Amino acid sequence: MLKYIAKRLFQMFPTVVGVVLVTFLLFNVVGGDLAATALGKNVSLQMMEDFDAQRGLDKPLFFGYRAGTRAFEDLDASVGRGRWQAWSNATHSAETGTVAIGPQTEILLPAFALDPGRDYEWTVVYRGKAILAGEALDSGRWSRAKIRFGGGRDVFLQTGEEPFELRRLSLRKVVANPFDSQLSFYVRQLLRGDLGTSEYFKQPVARLLADGIVPSLKLTVPIFFIGIVVSVSLSLVCAFFRDTWLDRFFVVLSVALMSINYLVYIVAGQYLLSYKLGWFPVWGYESWRFLVLPVAIGVVSGLGANLRFYRTIMLDEMYKDYVRTAFAKGVSKPRVLFVHVLKNAMIPIITNVVIAIPFLYTGSLLLESFFGVPGLGYLGINAILSSDIDVVRALVLIGALLFVVANLLTDLCYAAADPRVKLG
Amino acid sequence: METEKGQSLWGDAWRRLKKNRLAMACLGMVVFFTLLALYGEGVHQYWKWKDATPPFQLADLGKAYTAPGLHHWMGTDGLGRDVMSRLVQGARIAYKVGIVTSLIAIPIGVFFGCIAGYFGGRTDDFVVWLYSTFASMPGLLFILAIAMLVGKGLLGIYLGIGLTTWVGLCRLVRGEVIKHKEQTYVQAAKALGLGPARIIFLHILPNIMHVVIVTFTLRFPAAVGTEVFMSFLGIGVQDEPSWGLMINNARMRLWQGMWWEMTFVTLAVFLLVLAFNLLGDALRDALDPRLND
Repeated sequence: MLKYIAKRLFQMFPTVVGVVLVTFLLFNVVGGDLAATALGKNVSLQMMEDFDAQRGLDKPLFFGYRAGTRAFEDLDASVGRGRWQAWSNATHSAETGTVAIGPQTEILLPAFALDPGRDYEWTVVYRGKAILAGEALDSGRWSRAKIRFGGGRDVFLQTGEEPFELRRLSLRKVVANPFDSQLSFYVRQLLRGDLGTSEYFKQPVARLLADGIVPSLKLTVPIFFIGIVVSVSLSLVCAFFRDTWLDRFFVVLSVALMSINYLVYIVAGQYLLSYKLGWFPVWGYESWRFLVLPVAIGVVSGLGANLRFYRTIMLDEMYKDYVRTAFAKGVSKPRVLFVHVLKNAMIPIITNVVIAIPFLYTGSLLLESFFGVPGLGYLGINAILSSDIDVVRALVLIGALLFVVANLLTDLCYAAADPRVKLG
Repeated sequence: METEKGQSLWGDAWRRLKKNRLAMACLGMVVFFTLLALYGEGVHQYWKWKDATPPFQLADLGKAYTAPGLHHWMGTDGLGRDVMSRLVQGARIAYKVGIVTSLIAIPIGVFFGCIAGYFGGRTDDFVVWLYSTFASMPGLLFILAIAMLVGKGLLGIYLGIGLTTWVGLCRLVRGEVIKHKEQTYVQAAKALGLGPARIIFLHILPNIMHVVIVTFTLRFPAAVGTEVFMSFLGIGVQDEPSWGLMINNARMRLWQGMWWEMTFVTLAVFLLVLAFNLLGDALRDALDPRLND
C-alpha cells in the first residue's frame, strides 16, 4: 500500500506543475495588461508601474536581460505609434515614417521619475545631432544606438542647431539576473505561501480566503451530505421499482431537474418561498434559518445529475451474477439491494463523492452571492466583477490543487476498497 | 417476401430513434428552436443592413410593462420592448454560443484524443497530462476568469467555454481510438502504407463519429446554460437581448407582479436545454452498438 501511495504521489507532481503553469499562462500571458484590467483607465502610469512591481509583472516573462517599463511608451514613427504629440517642437511625417525635432529643444522623456537604484537602456534609431541621456548622438546616416544609464537623473533629449530625426525610440530596464523572471517570481511567491494582495480590499488574499471558508463550508457541507443521502436512496428506490412507472417518473424528473437553469431555482425560490410565502428570510447570514433555503436549492439543483448517475450504477450492479445468486438462494429483495448491491456500488459512489470535495471549498458561486452568504463564492463573483486579479487567481489555483488532491484520495479509497486496483 | 435491407450504422440508428416517440418530440423541438434562431439571425442581419436600430432594441416607455395581449403576445419589458421578439433574438445568441464554443472545443478534443490514442507513448503522456491539468481547473470559476481577462462580451464567453470543455470529449475519443487501433481495417490500412494522418482522420474518425455527435448534443445545452449564467452576472453579452440579461432585468420586476418576461424566458431556456438533453440521451442509446439486440 505504501508503495502505491508513493507512486500516486509521484504521478500527482506533473499535474500540480501543469496547474501552476496554466494559471501563470492564463494571467501573465493571455491576460494582457493586468494593471489596466485591475485598475481601470484613469490611473497614472506610476500607479500602474507600482502595481506591476508588486506582482513581479515588471520582469521578463520567462527569461531575459531586458524588461519593459511604463515610463516611456515605445516610439515607432513608421506606424505613428508613441507619444510624440505631447512633445514640443516635434513633427511627425507619415510619408517618411519619421519624427523630426526642431532646433534648441529640450524634452523630458519618461512619464515619471525612474528608479535611481537600477540601470536603464535607450534603443534609438536616428539621424542628425542631439544629446540623449547625457550622451551625444551624431550621425549623418540613419543609425542605431544603445545608451545605458543609471535611473537617478532626469532624462532629456536635447537638440542643438542642427536637425534631428527619429525612427524608433524605446526604453528598457536592465535586468541583472536573467532568471529573475515573472515565472520564477510566481513560483517563489507560491512556495512562500503568499497568494498575493487584493487590490480591492487592500488585504492579503490568504486572509480573505481564511475569512470566507467557514461560511462557505456551512453552506456546502450540508448540501453535500444531504445531497448524497437523498440521491443514493432515491436511486435505490429506482432500482427496487425498476421498469415501473415510479422508476420512469424519477428518470424524467432527473432530466427535467438537470434542464432547469440554476438561476431559475434561485429566483423562483426567493420569490415564491421567501417573498410570497414568507417561510424563509430572503437575504442575509445571521442564523441557521438563513441557510435553509440556499441548502435546499443546492440539493435540488444537484439532484438530477446525481440521481441519474447513481441509478445507472445501481442498475449495472443489478444484472451481475452475484445478485442473481442472492435472489436464487432466497434473499429478500430489500436485503439484496441495501446490503449486496449498495456495498458493491460503493466504488463508483466513492469516486463521485470524493471528486465533489473541491466544490465544498469553491462554494456555490451563485447561491452565496444571491443569499448574501459571505463565503468564497461570494468573494469570487465580486472579485471577477471588480477585476480583482489576485483573488481570482488564488481561487482558481487552490480549487485546482484541491481537485488534484481529491483525485489522489479517490484512488487511495479505491485501493483500500478493492485490492485489485493496486496491482493494475 | 421481405428482403433484408442494407444496414448502415446511421440507418440503424435512425430507425431506432424513430421508434422513440419522446426523442422524436425532442427532435421536433430542436428543429423548431433552430428555425427560430435562423429567423432571428435573418431579422438581425436585415436591420444591420438597413443600418437602423431594430424594434427589439427600441425603447418606447409609453408601452412599458404591457401584459401579454393581442399586440404583444408575451407582453413588453421595462422599456416597452416586445418580449417575444427579444426572446427570438435570445435564441439566436444561445445558438451562436452553442455552435461557436463547439467549433472551438470539439476540434481540440478530437485532435488531441486521436493523436494520443493512435501514437501512444510520449504523445499520449503529454495529452493525458494536458487534459488532467485542465480537468483539475475549477469549472465555472475558470471560465469566468478567462472571460474576465479577455474582456466582457461574446468573445470572452466563446473562449471561456470553448477552451475548458474539450476535456471530456478528448478522453472519450482517446479511449475509442485505442480500441479501434488494433482492429483489422486499421491494420490493413497500415499494411497498404497509408500515413498516420490519413488513417486517423479518414479511417478511424468516421467510425467514432457517433461519440462526437452525442457529445455535441449534450454539451450544447451546457454551453447555453453557462452563457445565460454569465450574461446574467454581467460578464457576458452586453447590449444584445441575451436570455441571461432578460432574466436579470425581469428578476426585480417579478416581485411587483410582472411575471411574463421571467416566465417566458425561463420556459424557453428550459425547453431548449431539456430537448437537447433528452435527444442526446436517445441518440446515445440509438448509436451505441452495445445495446443492439
